[in-house]
Amino acid sequence: MSESRFRIGPEIVHETVDGEVIAIDLADGSYYSLAGSGPAVWELLGQGVSEAEIGAVLAGRFEAEEAEIAAAVAALLAQLRENGLIVSEEGTAAEPPPANGSAGKVPFEPPRLERYNDMKDYFLLDPIHEVDPAGWPRPAA
Amino acid sequence: MGAHPGPRVAGADLASEYFAQLLDRFEQASAAIGGAGNLELEMAGLRVRLRPAGGSLRAGLLAPFEHLACQGAGDPDLTISLFDTASTGIEPPAPLWEPIAAAPGTNPVARLRSERACVLAAAGSRGLTAALPAEGIAVFHIPDAAAIPTSERAAPIREALQLLMAARGRLMTHAGAVGRAGRGVLLVGRGGSGKSTLALSCALAGMEIVADDYVLLEPDSLTAHAMQSTAKLTEDSATRLGIPAGAIDAAGFEPTLKGPAKALVDIRKLAPTTLKRQLEVGTIVVPRLRPHATANIAVACGLGEAGSAVRSISAAEGLRAVAPSTIVQAGFGGGASLAALADLVRRVPGYSLELSPDPAANAAAVDRLVAELD
Repeated sequence: MSESRFRIGPEIVHETVDGEVIAIDLADGSYYSLAGSGPAVWELLGQGVSEAEIGAVLAGRFEAEEAEIAAAVAALLAQLRENGLIVSEEGTAAEPPPANGSAGKVPFEPPRLERYNDMKDYFLLDPIHEVDPAGWPRPAA
Repeated sequence: MGAHPGPRVAGADLASEYFAQLLDRFEQASAAIGGAGNLELEMAGLRVRLRPAGGSLRAGLLAPFEHLACQGAGDPDLTISLFDTASTGIEPPAPLWEPIAAAPGTNPVARLRSERACVLAAAGSRGLTAALPAEGIAVFHIPDAAAIPTSERAAPIREALQLLMAARGRLMTHAGAVGRAGRGVLLVGRGGSGKSTLALSCALAGMEIVADDYVLLEPDSLTAHAMQSTAKLTEDSATRLGIPAGAIDAAGFEPTLKGPAKALVDIRKLAPTTLKRQLEVGTIVVPRLRPHATANIAVACGLGEAGSAVRSISAAEGLRAVAPSTIVQAGFGGGASLAALADLVRRVPGYSLELSPDPAANAAAVDRLVAELD
């Protein structure tokens, strides 16, 4: 079955420190902090996953109703897409993740995404146009 | 080096081609006006040779590197050739890319990258840089050595140094560095956060200073190396710090594209004995400005012994303070730079310092953090 799969955008650089993801969008200089259960989602996005797969993995990891987790994941993916942090593509569903019992689960914290755009001025004043191999500049974001 | 550029064909390496053409123009400029003598530097543990064509660029742009001058023969690790059109009569090569329309008030930058070469071409009166990073060579051009924008003079040949140093494992980091006895703190944060004022406050208090705004960081040894010996200050900060007129650049306070007017301050004139080539980084400090109106309240509440409130911050908070402006300004190698900075914030503690209106109190707060280093 074909479904939307998500992965981290090509212009995004990121690191996870102290359980918080710091992601920088090289295309426009905006940067982000992702905390709560967000880093768990982000880790999965590095592999290219579907919304359902993310929900299933998180349900196995956190103590919360599946519906609550599914709603939080849907909201976060929408935010990440809206900000250009992730891209989607059609793909075939992978094997469903293994079912987990309740052992080892930790309390669920909703993902928290914060956006900072104080670097934007650098881009507005000195917009960078990448030039392709044939000499055509790609307009700055 | 100096090879004649090949024909422009689809799929050609335009960046390498433009580098070769620009280097050729430098050779012409140098032949036309005569060399001004190379400036041999030791920077970040590397031998760096600056080759200006004519004397104007050396005087107008390269003076802030004189404190890193070194003697001795031997091949340099890095070589940067420089020329301007006004004093040599030699134009840079025509762009190999389609022109970019500039919106009012903007300076669009064309960026070409290939595996071998990088070109950064800004519009207007600003610099043009082409580099072969792995080979350790770059060429810099500016239209008029007698009319170099303050932004360029504040961080001379920044792009060329950033590209060449990155290929040698030195990360140009948007940070100041101050300390004592070879150990110290990185002052991090975006432009306008108070780094320069704090760094100069520390220098005036007798602490060692490596930089106010940019350092070359060796991630493994956590060593912060000096680049230029100038700092950039607003008039308000210069007054607050009591900077003597003799240490302020003759161009005075000039408007910046964003924010208040700033002038260049020559640290060699301001506090010559405190200027150092390098420091080992033991802590990160994020200065934060606060409204003056609240400063006395903070003192009354005992926030910091002398009015500067110091608070421990998480590694993630430290990374948010140092990484975005470093990476956004560098423009190349974002992922590797972020990884190196993440490693830095994991290895050393971080503090935020809410700045007091009293520069001496702020310097004392940083000095206490330095004294606490192992």
